Amino acid sequence: MNLIERYLHEVRRYLPAKNREDILAEIRSHLTDTLEERVKGDPGEEDMESLLKEMGSPRKLAASYPGGEQYLIGPELYPFFRMVAGIVLAAVLGAQLLAVGVGLWMGEETFRFWEVFGQIVMSVPVSIGWVIIVFVILQKRGVQPKVDEADWDPKSLPVVEETDAVKKGERIFGIAAGSIILALLAAFSDRIGIVVFPGGNFYPNPVLQQMVPWISLSLLASIALDIYLVWQGRWTLGSRIARVAVNLVSITVLVLLVQGHTAWLTAHGSNGFLVTIENLALATPESFQNMGMAAFNLAFVVALVVTWIETIVLLIRLVRPMVRKETLPGIMVK
Amino acid sequence: MNTQNESEQVLNLSQELRRGILPLAVLSLLKEKKYGYALIGDLAAAGIEIDQGTLYPMLRRLELQALLESSWILEGARPRRYYVISEQGSRILEILSQEWKNLNQLMEKLLGNVPN
Repeated sequence: MNLIERYLHEVRRYLPAKNREDILAEIRSHLTDTLEERVKGDPGEEDMESLLKEMGSPRKLAASYPGGEQYLIGPELYPFFRMVAGIVLAAVLGAQLLAVGVGLWMGEETFRFWEVFGQIVMSVPVSIGWVIIVFVILQKRGVQPKVDEADWDPKSLPVVEETDAVKKGERIFGIAAGSIILALLAAFSDRIGIVVFPGGNFYPNPVLQQMVPWISLSLLASIALDIYLVWQGRWTLGSRIARVAVNLVSITVLVLLVQGHTAWLTAHGSNGFLVTIENLALATPESFQNMGMAAFNLAFVVALVVTWIETIVLLIRLVRPMVRKETLPGIMVK
Repeated sequence: MNTQNESEQVLNLSQELRRGILPLAVLSLLKEKKYGYALIGDLAAAGIEIDQGTLYPMLRRLELQALLESSWILEGARPRRYYVISEQGSRILEILSQEWKNLNQLMEKLLGNVPN
């Protein structure tokens, strides 16, 4: 097979299926015409070589044809791909973290950190892979997002959030909630537990009673820091680090509380949350107590998840300015 | 930051300039039907060099945009794909020619002011 046929064979590999033969026939006719004009008689290898060199590599030639684009997701779809990939990733990670939290709370098998961590890490390429497959199909089908620039309204621009400003509402809510819990803990220190109506039977919560000093300490530290933040009005490096430290203390306390409750529930014959609900039908004092303890446990798991999220956000804000250190070039003043 | 040398920069920028006018040049030469190889000759005669690997895909694009029409014609033993400007192509060519003249005037004025 001569060089021209080898070239065409290679071009065929990169061409879109549509019009493939037609395009190849045209290139062949062009190459023969050119060779005929340049060389009298039979063209040799060198003549073909120099002509093909002028045509360019098969890949490049094929890529110039409509439909021969050498990419999976084009520039029009790419911003949407990024957006969807972000949403999917957030949903997949969020759902798994939630599942871990629920599993912990329902007292399912002991928590195997590395196994769970591995599963979460593995889910990232899998979910991104599916998004890519969907977008490649959309691209192949020629789906184009409708972006109407004329409809774009500058007023729809999102407000830039000043990340260093302290959101006073959030902080004051934290101070109020913390103070109320502290006051309740102090006022009813001997009556921490579950009261069942009707009847007013009281069941103490031994796990919570045991942890009261630590809870009070972490609440006090958190309230003090919030008051300082409201007073200062701005986050600083120091206050962010302090907030992370206080949150880590809270997380430790909450983890101990969850573990304590789970252990207590297991020791009192409560095999998971659903069994606890079922047992309520028995209306025995134990069933009410178990239900109460499970409710406490749920509240602490929720608090744990919320604190974790807040801490991760704080850590990101803490690390980001260190990673992205950008300064303007010197400005000359006339 | 500048890794290109000057002659490379000139080459790239002038290629970019030329790329913009190629469809206009091709449309103007296809008032009567021609096949690709002959068109390259006509363009060269007019002083416009075009890569063979650029012309054929461009003809396809213009056809896809309904500015050109094409048909295979058997000449002797060899089939050739002939292109000719469509009605829509003619209308657009007229508008673009005017556009080109205006641009040319503007640039003349602009570049005339640049001291040599």
